[in-house]
Amino acid sequence: MTDPGALMVWLILLPLAWACLAFLLGSGRGAQAAIIGLGLQLGLTLLLAVMLSGAGAASHAVGGWPAPLGIALAADGLSVLMLLLTQLIALPLAVYAHAYFAAGSVEGRYFWPLTGILLAGLNGLFLSADLFNLYVTLELVGLSAVGLVAAGGGVSQVAAALRYLFAALVGSGAYLLGVALIYGAYGTVSLETLGPLVVAEAPRAVWLAGGLMLVGLMLKTALFPFHYWLPSAHGGAPAPVSALLSALVVKASFYLILRLWLDPFGALVARAELLAWLPMTLGSAAILWGSWKAIRAPRIKMLIAYSTVAQLGYLFLIFPLLGTAGARQAGMMHVFAHGLAKAAMFTAAGVLIKVTGQDTVAGLAGVAGRRPLSLYAFGLAGITIMGLPPSSGFLAKWLLIEAALQQGHWIIALMVLVGGLLATAYVFRVLRQAFLRAPRAGELVAVPRTLELMAFVLAAASVLLGLRGVELMALLSIGSAA
Amino acid sequence: MKRLVVIAAALAFSLALIATLLELPAATIDLRPAVAENLAASGVAHPVTAVLLNYRGYDTLLEIAVLLLALFGILALGLERQVCTLRAAERPLQLLARLASPLMVVVAVYLLWAGAWRPGGAFQAGAVLAAAAVLLHLTELLPGWLQPSARLRWGLAGGFLLFLGVATAMLARGALLEYPPAHAGALILLIEAGLTFSLGLILAGLFLFMTCDEGGD
Repeated sequence: MTDPGALMVWLILLPLAWACLAFLLGSGRGAQAAIIGLGLQLGLTLLLAVMLSGAGAASHAVGGWPAPLGIALAADGLSVLMLLLTQLIALPLAVYAHAYFAAGSVEGRYFWPLTGILLAGLNGLFLSADLFNLYVTLELVGLSAVGLVAAGGGVSQVAAALRYLFAALVGSGAYLLGVALIYGAYGTVSLETLGPLVVAEAPRAVWLAGGLMLVGLMLKTALFPFHYWLPSAHGGAPAPVSALLSALVVKASFYLILRLWLDPFGALVARAELLAWLPMTLGSAAILWGSWKAIRAPRIKMLIAYSTVAQLGYLFLIFPLLGTAGARQAGMMHVFAHGLAKAAMFTAAGVLIKVTGQDTVAGLAGVAGRRPLSLYAFGLAGITIMGLPPSSGFLAKWLLIEAALQQGHWIIALMVLVGGLLATAYVFRVLRQAFLRAPRAGELVAVPRTLELMAFVLAAASVLLGLRGVELMALLSIGSAA
Repeated sequence: MKRLVVIAAALAFSLALIATLLELPAATIDLRPAVAENLAASGVAHPVTAVLLNYRGYDTLLEIAVLLLALFGILALGLERQVCTLRAAERPLQLLARLASPLMVVVAVYLLWAGAWRPGGAFQAGAVLAAAAVLLHLTELLPGWLQPSARLRWGLAGGFLLFLGVATAMLARGALLEYPPAHAGALILLIEAGLTFSLGLILAGLFLFMTCDEGGD
């Protein structure tokens, strides 16, 4: 395969195919199909990255109809980085999930079909260059995520899923209304065609559309104050699902905000520069509020979920700085750092909850001596979340502070530092408890070694990426104007 | 107080939306000529079918995945411990349902066929098939469904897999879903036939998988 277009298409077709296979074959062979499929996807993504770094951005006209009549798929540096992160995290999580779910359980049986469609939606979203097609991929991602939260769960889990469903539907509804207004104003939904049209003329409908799409996507990204649905959904789902949701799903709508903010709505943003401070303000509030709730959370998965609320805040600090390539690199570095670290934290917490048979932070007392590998994974992920060197979290914060100070926005640098301190407080809450020399009553439940290994692999990756992060972020320049 | 704020906000938003729509200029790009120009190569004579299954067939492919996904979501809730039984129903009602359902199948086939040149197509045909199944269920002729057997699973996913297969086969000779104009009509009919069958099962399933009683009342 020498055509990048074909690679892009296969990244969408493969997960759809193994999702169907998993539905037809049941969970045992379905899981094998999924893991093989994910391995192939990772290979294809790496190939695509290599190809694009040589030849530049690529596109594919689906059906042979060029936009605006047909739908275009497009891959630039931003898309490739998101694709890479998605496959990198999904593969170890699939191996983890295979060992995590009991054979024959309902949530185990439907985990694979739902995850396959989720990944097809994510890959499709990162590759789409068509506003309406993006809506369809958003629905694929949102509905499969809701299904995964609800799968085989009790009343509280289904209630959390339902709340998540309402948030997801309102979010995509607002986005769709925006798309309709754009189509009404310009007669096209192709991103490539829209760019110059918005620069030339932007009637009031386009401003309204941009606002609706932004708010809808913020709701899906769970940016403060729209985060209300996230802790119960991410904290209540099974560990592999929580990891998928926190590491990848919320990043998809963030990616879309960033993509649309740069182009085609870049022309609107340029006319109202103060606008960029809105996401920054909400992001700062998210860091403070999310961290505070994480410091006070009695249950470990709720602590990690509130940490996600806080960490998502950093992503929105970059908006006033977007003129520089450094800010975009800082944002993407943070997407990688948080994605890997948060997947590691949820998977490690999944092990600790299984072995202790309960999910409170207090109940972890003395677990360090018994499950050192899981705790080590949690600690490593914590290093990334706190932003200590040499982790990728440190690199992300370094890049962000550098970009902020270059443009004289010391307030952004200050927020980054405060957020790091607050993260230290909640990460050490868990570690301190685990290292207590408390005599443990009763035996710990045995768990497969694979679970701990996968948590460790993800955590180690989040730290080691800090050493090679700059090279990775160089991919961002593919197809970028700046 | 809270209700008042919500009402006021909704009202303000509606007014803003209406005001914006009233002053909406004519769209910069008009796609209708492009749709009409390429109709001959699209394999069908109806512009809506051409958009849904050819120009923007990729959207439709993913939308079928959304429907399948909705079904997975319901099945994943785990309703399997319940039993499905039929209760006694009124005989005249059953007679009417027995008369109506074969006609509904004929209507579905006609809608599928007619989609090539007038409003119709797989979604509508599948909906009529599903309605027939729901009618049979409501008249106690068809029990609710449990977790699907292997054969039913193939039926539910088959239409989507066929669509996916055709889309992929076209990739080998150009782009995803790029039909050769000479065979476009036949391929679209094949896809729509598969979709009609599976969509009928999926839409019926959205209803029938959820209606099992706790052992009858």
